[in-house]
Amino acid sequence: MRQNYLDLDVRPILRNGGEPFSVIMAALARLEPGQGIRLYATFKPLPLFAVMAEKGFAHAETELEGGEWEVLFTPTGIEAPATDSGAQPTDIWPDPVVRLDNRDLDPPEPMVRILGAAENLKPGETLSALLRREPVFLFPHLEKRGFRWLGGFTADGSTYELTVRAPI
Amino acid sequence: MIGGNLSKWTMSYFAIAIAWLVLGELLMTIGFGFPAAAAEAPDTLVVVHIVCIGWLSMAMCGALFQFVPVLAAKPLFAEGWQLPALVLLTAGLVALLGGFMVLGGHLPVWLWLLPTAALLLVTGFGLVVTDLAITVWRAHAPMGPAYFVIAGLCSLCATAGFGSAFAWSLAGIGRPDLSVLLKEGVPLHAIAGLGGWLTLTAMGVSYRLLSMFMLAPDVDNRRIRTTFLAGSATIGLVVAGGLLAIAAKTGIDLVLASAGGLGLITLALYGRNVVFLYWRRERAQLELNAKMAAWGFASLAAAVLLATVLAISGRFRAHVEAFAFLIAFGWLSGLVLAKLYKIVAFLTWIETYGPALGRTATPRVQDLVAEGRAAKWFGAYFISVWSGTAALLLDQPSAFRIAAFAMTVATVGIIQQLIRTRRLAEVAGPLRLPSGTHAPHLLYASV
Repeated sequence: MRQNYLDLDVRPILRNGGEPFSVIMAALARLEPGQGIRLYATFKPLPLFAVMAEKGFAHAETELEGGEWEVLFTPTGIEAPATDSGAQPTDIWPDPVVRLDNRDLDPPEPMVRILGAAENLKPGETLSALLRREPVFLFPHLEKRGFRWLGGFTADGSTYELTVRAPI
Repeated sequence: MIGGNLSKWTMSYFAIAIAWLVLGELLMTIGFGFPAAAAEAPDTLVVVHIVCIGWLSMAMCGALFQFVPVLAAKPLFAEGWQLPALVLLTAGLVALLGGFMVLGGHLPVWLWLLPTAALLLVTGFGLVVTDLAITVWRAHAPMGPAYFVIAGLCSLCATAGFGSAFAWSLAGIGRPDLSVLLKEGVPLHAIAGLGGWLTLTAMGVSYRLLSMFMLAPDVDNRRIRTTFLAGSATIGLVVAGGLLAIAAKTGIDLVLASAGGLGLITLALYGRNVVFLYWRRERAQLELNAKMAAWGFASLAAAVLLATVLAISGRFRAHVEAFAFLIAFGWLSGLVLAKLYKIVAFLTWIETYGPALGRTATPRVQDLVAEGRAAKWFGAYFISVWSGTAALLLDQPSAFRIAAFAMTVATVGIIQQLIRTRRLAEVAGPLRLPSGTHAPHLLYASV
């Protein structure tokens, strides 16, 4: 059977200085069973390979003209084991148990609230937060406490979506 | 990792910088250098370089080591270069001041001091420029403000290049063309330093800090780029056009006049962007740093107005020192002091309470400062700077020394507030050091 791919061109977002992560994740949620993604990007999206592998996609990349890349993400049928915990059968992140909208808070209040909520998560649970800016000063503290996170700006660049997962 | 780690030596840069500022102000108070001596006299050069390298450049480098990784969302290329750069810059500045003291007849004729100073300063600034430029270069999609930092760093290289050429020439080493450069090129050195390195960099950093601290939307990238292009063109014209004019022996007046026009356009574009940030902010109640930064912007506008009026009436050359004083102390020092007040509080807060956030009750950033007390010192600082400018314009050296003394007192008042913040002295007892936190060191961050 010929593999079916959803075409996703994030080059315009990248050229405008945007962060396409949330668009890619939204596309992932729309996929039909067995469908893959054909992604066009202005650079080789190395960080995405690990994320997609955890979600059960193999990648095959081809360099295009002008340093751009086409990447085929193909579902492998089996989700890769989580990198940091062999006991974990899959590494699909569960739906957030807490959703924070921190867009109207004075900095550094968003960071204070996210860390406060993160400390109350049970092992493996996630929280999501909406922010105005990339919370750069938050990341070292999440890392020190063993949390993992995924984040990116929405296509219009107005909101940063962050998902934080408690250590298992 | 992303660039939100604390920079270990930023506080050390700030501490050394502000100590140089106090020394510079004290020298002006005792009547060392201009206006008691000529503007180009060695004594004046001592004060000018204490303020421009010791205070402004050191403070800027300290801030850039912390904020360029944030702008670029990448860790600093080489964390380990910060301390050697600080040592080289300090040693280089001391040697440079020694070299000027030789020229002023205060020291024996140690002609080797100036070339040594040039070597040390070029190496120190070279480490800073390389470290920061590679960090920005590695950023995947550099933001508008980062362009300004790059333009500022290029201007720093040009400034250091001119300065080194002067140092060799003054020491009597080097080719005869160097002495031609020394005779005519001093305005190029000053404009590349104050206008290029310090002002362009301050513009870039202020875009980000103002929007961050006032909750304003970022200025449109296209507008930032237009301002950046105008600013870079101004400095490029001064440096390249000035060198060509000196080589062609046509005099640099035409180049300076055209650059003045371009500079005016740059500042008008920048002013529009700053007004946008204040106008569109979502934080209704302005914090002290934003209010005091506004006085810095007002000083810049006043300096531009002053220069225009003086130029039209043909008296700019007679009063260029008053203009430079207002740029250095009203605009650059005013803005740096205002931002330092916030940056020190913010970095101290995150260093001390970051590990405890979410686990126990912690103070807010604003609990680390006493804005009411600091506001009085800032007010005294700006009033004394404006009085000092007026005294220079009116040729009143004694009044200028009184103003310089008032600036010194106000600066010491601000320093005391910064130390209280660093010592957590304003934080109420029970919240001061909850479990899992440690009091920060005064002069560096424990990371």
